[in-house]
Amino acid sequence: MNGFLHYFLSALNPMANLGFSRAIAELISSELPGWWLMFVVTFLAVVLPAVLYWLLSLVRSDLVRPPLSFRSGQAQPLVSLVIAGRNEAATIGQAIRGALLCGYANLEVIFVDDNSEDNSVNVARRAALSVTGYRKDGDRVRIFPSPRRNGKASSLNIGIRMARGEFIAITDADSVIQYGSIEHWLLPFADPRVGGVAANIRVNNSTVNLLTRFQEIEYGTKTVSKSILAHMNLLYIISGMGGIFRAEILRRLFGFDTGLGDDRDLTMMLRKQRWKIGFAIDAVVWTTVPVTRDHLWRQRARWRRNVVKICLSKHRDQFILGRYGFANAVVALQLLFTRLLLPLMLVIGVFWAMFEFGPMEVPEVLVTSYWLMLLYLLIVMLITRDLATTPKPKNFWLVFLYPFYLLFVVTPANIYAELAELFRIGAKHHYVPDHVWEEIPWW
Amino acid sequence: MMGIDTRAAKPDATSVQAGASTAADERRLNLLRQIALAGGTITPRVEPNAKHGYAYAALGDEVERDLAILSKRNYLEARFFDRVSLCPKCDSHHLNIREVCPSCRRAHLESQGLIHHFRCGYVGIPSEFLPSAEGTYRCPKCNCKMHHLGVQFDRLGKAFVCQGCGVISENPPVEAVCFSCGKQTSADDLVSTIVFSYVLTSRGAAAIRQGSFDSDEELVCIGGVTVYRRKVILEFFNHEMKRLRYFNIGFSVLLANCRASIMDQSGEDSSTSWLTRLRSFLREVDLIGQLTDSLYVVILPQTQQHEAEQLKQRIIAGLGPQSAFSLSAIEMNEHRSAEFLARNDQHDAPS
Repeated sequence: MNGFLHYFLSALNPMANLGFSRAIAELISSELPGWWLMFVVTFLAVVLPAVLYWLLSLVRSDLVRPPLSFRSGQAQPLVSLVIAGRNEAATIGQAIRGALLCGYANLEVIFVDDNSEDNSVNVARRAALSVTGYRKDGDRVRIFPSPRRNGKASSLNIGIRMARGEFIAITDADSVIQYGSIEHWLLPFADPRVGGVAANIRVNNSTVNLLTRFQEIEYGTKTVSKSILAHMNLLYIISGMGGIFRAEILRRLFGFDTGLGDDRDLTMMLRKQRWKIGFAIDAVVWTTVPVTRDHLWRQRARWRRNVVKICLSKHRDQFILGRYGFANAVVALQLLFTRLLLPLMLVIGVFWAMFEFGPMEVPEVLVTSYWLMLLYLLIVMLITRDLATTPKPKNFWLVFLYPFYLLFVVTPANIYAELAELFRIGAKHHYVPDHVWEEIPWW
Repeated sequence: MMGIDTRAAKPDATSVQAGASTAADERRLNLLRQIALAGGTITPRVEPNAKHGYAYAALGDEVERDLAILSKRNYLEARFFDRVSLCPKCDSHHLNIREVCPSCRRAHLESQGLIHHFRCGYVGIPSEFLPSAEGTYRCPKCNCKMHHLGVQFDRLGKAFVCQGCGVISENPPVEAVCFSCGKQTSADDLVSTIVFSYVLTSRGAAAIRQGSFDSDEELVCIGGVTVYRRKVILEFFNHEMKRLRYFNIGFSVLLANCRASIMDQSGEDSSTSWLTRLRSFLREVDLIGQLTDSLYVVILPQTQQHEAEQLKQRIIAGLGPQSAFSLSAIEMNEHRSAEFLARNDQHDAPS
């Protein structure tokens, strides 16, 4: 323990050149499990695979970015894009126009309006007409204005019922599909074992403020890890901002369940049925991220509550080795560790250190952690930039502030949400209307 | 008003002979007479075997063409009557227009209310929710019984369900099948044509009186009274409005709505006498114009509302309460002018 603390303290001394070279030897000889969990495991799980993946991309680029095997005259399968939203008048027009103009001819768009109080339906109709004209409007864009609020999951189910495509893509009402993405999105389906494919989510409004720039880095750095996990059949989520599925699977699953994070729950259901989850790095969907801290807090808290509900409650049977396959058990354990235990361990560790060594010592621990995290992050960002052209180079300087974003913005929201969900505090999901909430089971 | 000949047009033997010199003109004059005898309006009636599903109750082989020409030359006023959809291939109006499935293009659709089960979020058509032993619905997804509408489940409004392929759609596309040639056409691609009814104009009435189509006379002469045609009197009206705007010189109008048709069965003018007497109450600078078959307007320059009202009372007193027309006096301003012009500017010309 003394050796470990000595390392942390010496790292703060500028004269000691951060002590990295010396620290490695000390760490290897250290017997602290906390160190290995916090940094060595992170390196092995995140940084090293990213480096290896990048090296692989230099040798076999087709494995990382499969080329389009388009032949002229080849029939394109019908893709139904389902968008569900409530009070999305500000963004739905852009979403529909973007979809219709994404360069994929055999696409139908279904917008399910969840009883909006704004002008969403009219905006959607105008957007559709602005692209399709008055001709054959009924074929390419269909709009279902729901007479009563039903919640996101049920609205998506309406869209799934109306869809007639071989594949059903789902995006949010504030997301826009990039031109040419659908073809890339469909590529992994060449493997008949693939049931769903996640899109590469990019941030549309990254230039708004510092918070959105941080989120651009956050979304970008996940790109490489998602790609690696998909190759290893360990990808655990197809984001609701951009996912595409075989229509027959969605119908067989009877669509989404209410009261849960629809995307994660559906991905789990797919995995439990032994379908592979793909990732298409060139299928880019641009999404609008929260611009205020409150909005971001609510979003992250909602996501983390869903992780607790889905992993620990609804799909807890995944932990049973052998029931749903080894890969699913690994996914469940990985989620349990990285999403639930690690943030709690961080907080508990800090408080423990404060109690054990006094408050003056704790900042030094954090500062050392900061430098290591920064190093890891920089490596991943450079690799992501090379493979996925994100984040923007002008935002690279934010790497120095990014750990603070994680520590003071994201992590508190996550920890609060975990504890609140575990103790069922404020469990009511604001995405779900009251009359539906009262009927759904307690997960 | 440059170029307007203010002389009254008088029947001239030479012009009558020249005007009726061609057979087509004679045929069209007869058509105008038929319209006048029918009350001044000719309205199409439904005729399934006619080219566009409507036919006019008038004799002649080229009635539709003649009506369009007469309307173009301002002897008739075309008014919208109906729009007819036609097959773009064979121009037939015998079409079967119906909603079709957006997927399989069959018309085998049924309107059903979607059911939403709150507990599991399942959305489906009623036939999917199998009735349980107690007679209530049972959800096909979670197998729960659904007892209470509005509490456990709800109906999401109507949607069209294709009985062939099962696709659900809120607004299915509309398609037409031509009974004549069998062509299937999207409703957006159908050709449409407008069917008009036609009303005799003052110019048409004058042509009947003269027995010929005049050239471009601005005047109609009724019983020796100078009456301007609609187009010309509206020009005068606009001119008075300009005077009002530039010099703030107000004016009023009298609207005379004739209760009886101006033409009797023999084609003689029955309004001659009251129009002559009306003229006797007016100043020399006052102008009379005919807006429609039964509506006349009198422009009273530099006349205020109370003066126009006094004039109106004098005329009513002079002609007696049982006179053949009703009068209203209006002093014009921008707002009333716009109303007046809008009411009298509804020309629907055939294309």
